[in-house]
Amino acid sequence: MGSRREFLRTASAGALADLTSKTLLGAAAGQATISVPGKEGLIVRSYRFLDLETPVEYMTDWITPIPHFFVRNHMFEPAEIDAKEWTLGIGGEVDKPLSLTLADLAKIPVYSVTNTLECAGNGRSQQSPRVPGIQWGKGAVGNARFSGPSLKSLLEKAGVKDTAKHVVFRGSDVVPGKVPPFIRSIPIEKAMDVDTLVATHMNGAALTPHHGYPARVITPGWAGAASCKWLTQITVQDKPADGNFMLPGYRMPNQPVKPGEAVKPEDTHSVTGLAVKSLIAGPIDGAKLKPGSQVVRGVAWAGEADITRVEVSTDGGASWNLAQLGKDQAKYAWRLWSYPWKPARSGDYTILSRATDSQGRVQPDAAVWNPSGYFYDACDQVKVYVQA
Amino acid sequence: MVGENSPFAELPVGPLQEKATAACTSCHEARIIVQQRLSKAAWTKEMDKMIKWGAEVDSKDRDGLIHYFSTSFGPDQATYEAPRTAAHASPKVRLKGKH
Repeated sequence: MGSRREFLRTASAGALADLTSKTLLGAAAGQATISVPGKEGLIVRSYRFLDLETPVEYMTDWITPIPHFFVRNHMFEPAEIDAKEWTLGIGGEVDKPLSLTLADLAKIPVYSVTNTLECAGNGRSQQSPRVPGIQWGKGAVGNARFSGPSLKSLLEKAGVKDTAKHVVFRGSDVVPGKVPPFIRSIPIEKAMDVDTLVATHMNGAALTPHHGYPARVITPGWAGAASCKWLTQITVQDKPADGNFMLPGYRMPNQPVKPGEAVKPEDTHSVTGLAVKSLIAGPIDGAKLKPGSQVVRGVAWAGEADITRVEVSTDGGASWNLAQLGKDQAKYAWRLWSYPWKPARSGDYTILSRATDSQGRVQPDAAVWNPSGYFYDACDQVKVYVQA
Repeated sequence: MVGENSPFAELPVGPLQEKATAACTSCHEARIIVQQRLSKAAWTKEMDKMIKWGAEVDSKDRDGLIHYFSTSFGPDQATYEAPRTAAHASPKVRLKGKH
């Protein structure tokens, strides 16, 4: 981020004091912005297909507002879907295949889950050696309140047979060229968890098209790939879904491999629950800070587990201090955290954050490399300069 | 050709720019390509995957394209600086109350 650092060093001290909070900093100085209605200040990883990343400096709210929520698409979003024409098919190993309309869904009791949704590839650009794929920085993650019927209630309506082991989802993505369609499945146990939803609402309003209107799966605490957008078909099977996005896509090596090493598909497993992670929302990397009291703040999450501790180091990892966790909490949702810091002297500082969860997992110093660049989970780090 | 105010990125200038643009941006835009930082072996693997998924590449151009991508977007190139979406003039968006 060379040119960004240069921009920070030459800007005035007064303006810089705002950088840790609300000021939107453009990417490379002078670079034109791209209009995406409804999405404000997000980093454009790709315009077509649409992949937008949330800058870390926005991660100061427990609930991520929709204009700041990241967007991930493997292929084209469907053309406008007519709510009156839309149906959701449920078939396969069920007693009674169903075809439900949005009106049918609205009659089923609604559940709400506040879920931190993260792309499996978040942080990929930090892997070394570099791997192919969307070069996410840190921000393919957000926390929102999703509402809709439990998937369990729909599956019970259809009547799940004893042979049911996996639930396959298909959405209305428009598939380009000879690309395999985005079809994935989750195991029946996770599908029948009451918190796994067929969500129609996000943060109190109907899902927007970028986020899967009119209905999507929310498989809480799991990598985003398990939360199929623009849901159109649910198929219950005795085996997992086939296809590229189950094999070789979205798989992690069973054993750690040497960086750069190839892995055989039979030595991998499908991605499921998210790793324990934390991010520093402020101060931002490269910031030039005025002397005196500062607040280091950020977010931490742990998939299906709970955050029990966040620690902050302001000396590059030599010593660690307990951060305060924010009061807002929910299963599957991130925690805000903050740490008051008064640097003793001027100069360069390396600030790190490290989260621990209820399963005893702790963020490592270095992420385990894998060929797909999934689940980058190393302690977060920013480098700042405190002026005299 | 992609213009100054285009939301799309451009592939690097060179003898293969037009051919690469035609082959590689019918499905997705160039920004997906220009952000990669891969070795020649990794570029070879990606090109073959893209051809399998529908990218129309003449067999006589394959090696040239691999060279074009490897030299432009190898592991030692500086990081690609992505643009941002426009921000509104209104105050920072905050949600109030329960959702």
